[in-house]
Amino acid sequence: MLVWFLPLFLVFLFLGLPVFFGMLAAPGILLWLNGQERDLSLLYRNVYNGMDSFPLMAIPFFMLAGELMNRGGITMRLVEFSQAMMGHFRGGLAHVNVLSSMLFAGLSGSAVADTSALGSMLIPAMEKEGYTRRFAAAITAASSVIGPIIPPSGIMIIYAYVMGESVAALFLAGIVPGIMVGVGLMIMVKVMADRYDFPASRQRATWGEKGQASLKAFFPLLTPVIILGGILGGVFTPTEAAAVAVAYAIFIGMFVLRTLRLADLPDVLSRAALTSAVVLLLVGAAMAFKTVVSLSHTPETLAAFILSLSENPLILLFLINLLLFIVGMFLDAGPAIIILGPILGPIFVDLGIDPIHFAIIMSVNLTVGLATPPMGLVLFVASSVSGEKVQTIAKAILPFLAIEILVIFLITFIPEISMTIPRLTGFAE
Amino acid sequence: MAILLGILRPLQFVIDVVLRLGRGFAVVAIALMVVCILVQVFYRYVLNNALPWPEEAARFLMLWMTGLIAPSAYRRGGFVAIDMAVAALPRVPAALLALALLLVSMMVLVMGLQLGMKHVNSGWLFSSPTLRLPLELIGGQGFKIKLAWMYLSLYVGLILLLVVNIELILRSIVGLLGGDDHLRPMMDGELRVE
Repeated sequence: MLVWFLPLFLVFLFLGLPVFFGMLAAPGILLWLNGQERDLSLLYRNVYNGMDSFPLMAIPFFMLAGELMNRGGITMRLVEFSQAMMGHFRGGLAHVNVLSSMLFAGLSGSAVADTSALGSMLIPAMEKEGYTRRFAAAITAASSVIGPIIPPSGIMIIYAYVMGESVAALFLAGIVPGIMVGVGLMIMVKVMADRYDFPASRQRATWGEKGQASLKAFFPLLTPVIILGGILGGVFTPTEAAAVAVAYAIFIGMFVLRTLRLADLPDVLSRAALTSAVVLLLVGAAMAFKTVVSLSHTPETLAAFILSLSENPLILLFLINLLLFIVGMFLDAGPAIIILGPILGPIFVDLGIDPIHFAIIMSVNLTVGLATPPMGLVLFVASSVSGEKVQTIAKAILPFLAIEILVIFLITFIPEISMTIPRLTGFAE
Repeated sequence: MAILLGILRPLQFVIDVVLRLGRGFAVVAIALMVVCILVQVFYRYVLNNALPWPEEAARFLMLWMTGLIAPSAYRRGGFVAIDMAVAALPRVPAALLALALLLVSMMVLVMGLQLGMKHVNSGWLFSSPTLRLPLELIGGQGFKIKLAWMYLSLYVGLILLLVVNIELILRSIVGLLGGDDHLRPMMDGELRVE
């Protein structure tokens, strides 16, 4: 009987019930019909216990740090730095857009923040230089996907918590895939720039100008070094690193750049609290959902089904790529990871896939889904920032999506891409 | 419909006030969380003295932050959902579906409140391992904080969510009866601008 909770959940989901309620309603109804009072109490307790977690606290902190950096004009510095480095190439501003996304990814863990922060600045600038608006919006959306892949990353914190993996290992495993997406997009920009004769945005910067831009971006660019260095060196836990990042962002915003005012703080705090509360409730519901997943023997049933399709892990991984890609089209990366991780993770770990590698496959796959029509969240944000229609951006983004899909396949079938850094640093076997 | 609007308007007013208070507390809570963790890091590295309480205090604050501000997110349509079905249907079936979904959510919340009672009550039996109210500092007697004070965060959150849910249900019934003009606009845009 309990086996039906998954189909019931999917029905609720597609009818439009908020994920939080769906994850509790589907198992709740079935447990209630079964008369399993004690398991129902367990469901409630696990929502609470699921939220009462120190590692999860990294999520509000990283969100807060991202909001603060954005408000404090740090984004601006990153863009200027990218300009000095890459602005003189043909298609300069498009390259700048991608490079800024990669740098911004080291400060924030969210693709949406990336799109709205960089898009509002770069899309008008690109239009002024003669790019079409749809192209500008498309490259912004496509490159913002790097945000949650390069550490720090909100969805990786969630995955690590829900699945009991190490946050540090996941962060490290994301570095190379994130850079690959960025470089891949730049190659695509170059191909298109040569073909359509995109403008260079400026003269080659002199070494003096480059030095000056680097100096201005120095403090912001130190953030990822502090976060990652602190976590890897065993100085901080990820949560502590996130709190330090908040303090650091306030410090440079208020005292170094002097662009952040005390009066800005309540608003920034409120936004960070609001968005993270939604995520925390979801994680709580997911932890409750997860208990029911294991009570119901769904993973076994599903594993038997998946293994009946093929016994070859490579073919199965390909099928999972497809599944995740489709799920990513409709669902946000965070909720999708929360729902699918506990169901799919154990199956593939049994097949001999490293849990960290599988985590990266899922994260990258679902993150790219953020920029995929019809329901890509990032597309909607890019549309509201640029004023271009979602459908138009969705068409213009296709060449970039093709690159990202290629990267997904490379990551899936060459585990070394993600696993080398965590292995070298001793965070994975 | 006049009756419905008669209930809805004062309800909206009360929710406005309560949730604004909740957001205020949540803002303070998230700021204090950062402070707690920084104090923890500072004491451990600079003073070489690992404090026991900051971690639990920060979790305490995070739970209350969630409970007090999540209802605002729900009210502004910030709960993640796939809204394709409702968007694809004609007006009346869409409104009926939306109402049905709200009722399912209500069921979850009511059930949660029933189950939560037991959870909160069990919390009066246990004290927090590290958190105490140091009343001796002002001449009183200090005591350990009961876990129920932490458990209450989710419970209060569910109560507020239920109140918002009732507001949304009333709105949706008024809308079904063709009274859309009498409703004030939803505040989903506010999620971005606050």
